[in-house]
Amino acid sequence: MLVNHHPDSERLTAFSAGSMPLSQALCVSAHLEMCPDCRADLDSLNKLGSHVFNQMKPSRVSNDLKQSVFKQLNDTQTHDPVSNSPARNETGRVASGVPKCLFQFIDDDYDSLDWHWVSPSIRQANLCVDGNGAHVALLRIKPGGKASHHTHMGEEITMVLKGAFSDESGIFQQGDFVVRGSNDKHRPIATKDSECICLTVLDAPIQFTGYFSRWLNPLLRRAHP
Amino acid sequence: MRRNCKTGELFCRNSDFNNDIIPNDHGKMLNNILELRIQGRPMADGPTPADKQKGLQLHLKKCIERVAKKRDKAAFESLFEHFAPLLRAYSFAREPGASLMADELAQVVLIKIWEKAHTYNSNKASVNTWVYTLARNSRIDLLRRNGRYTTEIDPEYLWQDLEDESADPFVSMQHKRTEKTISDAFEHLPPDQQQVIAKVYLEGKTHQESADELGLPLGTIKSRIRLALQKLQLVVRR
Repeated sequence: MLVNHHPDSERLTAFSAGSMPLSQALCVSAHLEMCPDCRADLDSLNKLGSHVFNQMKPSRVSNDLKQSVFKQLNDTQTHDPVSNSPARNETGRVASGVPKCLFQFIDDDYDSLDWHWVSPSIRQANLCVDGNGAHVALLRIKPGGKASHHTHMGEEITMVLKGAFSDESGIFQQGDFVVRGSNDKHRPIATKDSECICLTVLDAPIQFTGYFSRWLNPLLRRAHP
Repeated sequence: MRRNCKTGELFCRNSDFNNDIIPNDHGKMLNNILELRIQGRPMADGPTPADKQKGLQLHLKKCIERVAKKRDKAAFESLFEHFAPLLRAYSFAREPGASLMADELAQVVLIKIWEKAHTYNSNKASVNTWVYTLARNSRIDLLRRNGRYTTEIDPEYLWQDLEDESADPFVSMQHKRTEKTISDAFEHLPPDQQQVIAKVYLEGKTHQESADELGLPLGTIKSRIRLALQKLQLVVRR
């Protein structure tokens, strides 16, 4: 898989530090599963984390803590049930290429989700709302389907999970990580050869800017309370 | 003790670190290892900090192996003495004054070390890096469960599998080089870059929160991180 668009190094640093909203971390994690280059960078960044971790001024430990930890040690080797036995329905999700970080939201394949109608060529499945109010959703665009012109109130992160789309600034394929700021006005179009499924994280609702689609804004606000 | 004043109370210098953190018996063990390691070499000035660091890494690695294979509690005690004070400090960096949480984090991570020692792969990462990733994941989970931040997202699978994959031998050669490079180069970073890295990694602050607290524009925070990574030669492509 050739991945062309990556999270920038500051974002990858925040992921390595565990200091980004989990909704964003979800997108970065999905990207990392598909991008060995970024995984190698993450390894290096974790070493930076471990370096500063090691340089902290140590904090005195009480005897109580030590006793309490030692009391909980089992003598026998315990094996992690999660990593050793395949979880239920793993095959459906793996076969349809669902990233592992999304297993918590998707029981089987993408079809098993509750898809809502957005426009004739677009369906949306809401996954969750993060603590900071960001909306996490999957978008499914039919082959050749067009989204309306829109801008964002906040930042929008898009991770292409399947297929490809293009907009004014280029073509984005499976594995690509795309960030759009509040000033970017764009109109994504799925490529004609297959449907396109994207994971999106939206800080604030999008604004449709097209003449005919502006009436959608109040509806959209209702869908994103 | 000389502290890096610009990065605040979180850091102490490398040379202080060894004296501070290793209690007597642990230190003795370490010195024995160091002597073994440098036998036959003139030792006019004693072991250098780099030698000590190397010896410590080797010692921690052996302890993990003994815990994994023999369920050796003495070896585990060594790991406890080394990591428990750091884990508490790491918790305080995020939640100052939260003493219960500091103990809870130390406890959770140390028990993970005991239970998951057999999954540690020394080709993939040093013990320090492995424990750092356990600490980071556990801190996020603890903050979430304590309701310090609310989210519907379960962090468990966001990091774990990506970092547990077995390493390819070329990568592991590279990782040995970079661990040394990082610690050498970090000390030479300008204090303002060190400070931002510490905020992001130790205090767990988002770039925006770091910007707010330091009274700097968001762009400045990002460019300091970018410059630091360039100087550390950490990220290759971007």
